Amino acid sequence: MSKVVEISPTTRHEGHSKLVLKVDDAGIVERGDWLSITPVRGVEKLAIGKTMEQVPKIASRVCGICPIAHTLAGIEAMEASIKCWYPDDARRLRVILQCANRAHSIALHNILILPDFYIPGTDTKINPFTPQEPVRSVAKRIQRIREISQTIGQIAGGEAIHPSNPRVGGMYRNVSDHAKLKMYDLAKEGLTLAHEQMDFMIAVIRNMQKRDWTEVGGKQIPIPKTLGYHDQGYMATDPVYGTTSHSENPTWSYERFKETRPWDWYMGEAEVNLADPSYPIGGTSPVGTKVNPQMEACTGIPLYDGQPVEVGPRARLVTFKNFDEKGTFGQHIARQLEYTDSFYAMLSAIDDLNPHGKVLADHIPQGDGSMGWAANEAPRGTDVHLAKVKDGRVQWYSMLVPTTWNFATCSRALTGAPWQIAEMVVRAYDPCVSCATHMIVIDEEKRIVAQKLIQ
Amino acid sequence: MLYPEIVVVGCGNPLFADDGFGPAVIEELSKRPLPENVKVVDAGLGGPHFVFTLLDPESTRKLVIIDIADFGADPGTLRVFRPEDLPAGSYRDAHSWDLSEPLERLKDSINITIVGCQPKRVTSPEMEIGLTDEVTNAIPRTVHLVLNLIGVEYGTAI
Repeated sequence: MSKVVEISPTTRHEGHSKLVLKVDDAGIVERGDWLSITPVRGVEKLAIGKTMEQVPKIASRVCGICPIAHTLAGIEAMEASIKCWYPDDARRLRVILQCANRAHSIALHNILILPDFYIPGTDTKINPFTPQEPVRSVAKRIQRIREISQTIGQIAGGEAIHPSNPRVGGMYRNVSDHAKLKMYDLAKEGLTLAHEQMDFMIAVIRNMQKRDWTEVGGKQIPIPKTLGYHDQGYMATDPVYGTTSHSENPTWSYERFKETRPWDWYMGEAEVNLADPSYPIGGTSPVGTKVNPQMEACTGIPLYDGQPVEVGPRARLVTFKNFDEKGTFGQHIARQLEYTDSFYAMLSAIDDLNPHGKVLADHIPQGDGSMGWAANEAPRGTDVHLAKVKDGRVQWYSMLVPTTWNFATCSRALTGAPWQIAEMVVRAYDPCVSCATHMIVIDEEKRIVAQKLIQ
Repeated sequence: MLYPEIVVVGCGNPLFADDGFGPAVIEELSKRPLPENVKVVDAGLGGPHFVFTLLDPESTRKLVIIDIADFGADPGTLRVFRPEDLPAGSYRDAHSWDLSEPLERLKDSINITIVGCQPKRVTSPEMEIGLTDEVTNAIPRTVHLVLNLIGVEYGTAI
């Protein structure tokens, strides 16, 4: 008979989400639901009536991890609505920023997933913070890749975290000759490190793939060869950057998109009747806990051609590079392959960049209220922003963020996995769940907010 | 070097009313001429993983964090904290794990001060832009306080 187990919250990814899993007697997931439990409401409403310059800045604040992707998607949705072309050198700066963001994000994700993996040839899991070799050098390399990427992002984008340089119609300013040279030198160093880091990660991932079991909460849990497989299909718009409705050949289609409500996709009310206090970080939810994914899920379910799809590195590689590995390990491998791709694309854009070239359109139309959309290939998948701009003001705005696509797809990918490693499947999507407030609570007894949620 | 000797970080989300206090103070600070060894950063929501894991203990010696803090005082009240004053988990990282105490890790090598402002209104999960009057009025005082903390002579005419 099926039992229900709940892992809440899931850990080592951005934001707050949980897993509700129906499992068989052997603990294998028959049906899994992975859902966001952080409600965030109102960005669409907030945007109405604001200027087309303000809205992308507002949009970039919904997330602590992806401000760059949201800034670029937001600005390009405005440009698509008003039908504005921007100069090639502005495009190059945006590509540099995009690649810097991706490289830095992969490095961060490495730190998050490494504790699930073993040092090859041993039964010792990797602690990325240990002062011991060989892990210490790996951690240092990861930090250096992040530092390089953030510095390049800061030069091209104006600021390291919330980029101030991109604007509707291009960029506020070009970079100096000296800054171009600096980005080039940093990117060359980054490329070498990215090669080394990619090789290391692939060795670690392949080693895990060959193992029969992994230890979770003191037990040996078998690793199925088909971990994370699903038949939901993929969606990607570009290997590196993205597309818009104003592109010459748009590679995304609004007509193929639909959204359904969470109650059409998730399971209904149930009660937890399987619990494991030895599961890492405080155990699973106790027996008797009421769960109701249909009502608790905080996101809609986006459909492309009638079904949820996977977005992210594997979707990009499957679509554009004939990559054919499926499942959790396929996703991990694909992400590592994007390490070097990011630096190659960055170097090529830096090479092409003319620091004396124009970066702002001569004429910026103010919009007639037509709908425009932009899809940005964010590190964790396609980030689509849609807008209607009239007379310089936003009349309608909507965001379809990457993990919203992946929630539904990953839920199906959980089937067949031992429940104890369901979180491994989730982490392979590099989820960025949603944002929430950010507040220090000095006295938890007296005060309102339970804890600080970042991102 | 991305992070110089003194780093001032504003944390928070301007989409949740008073939670935008940190970034608002950074905006004010960046209008002022600051010494070359000072960097001000609007970290938004990304503080822990963008800033704290990247600070370089070899070059950075002082970190000032500006954020809202709920210590039960009147809205707009400022208080200065040390990392040890904060309860465990209060600077929780986005990933709910070992990175969660980045300040604890850093405090032996970097001098860390947290400037907290008591908020009046935090609207999460509903989005609302704009600080309340009480918290807006705390911005000039915070700027003054931060400039004092980082040793910039600013006079008393604020």
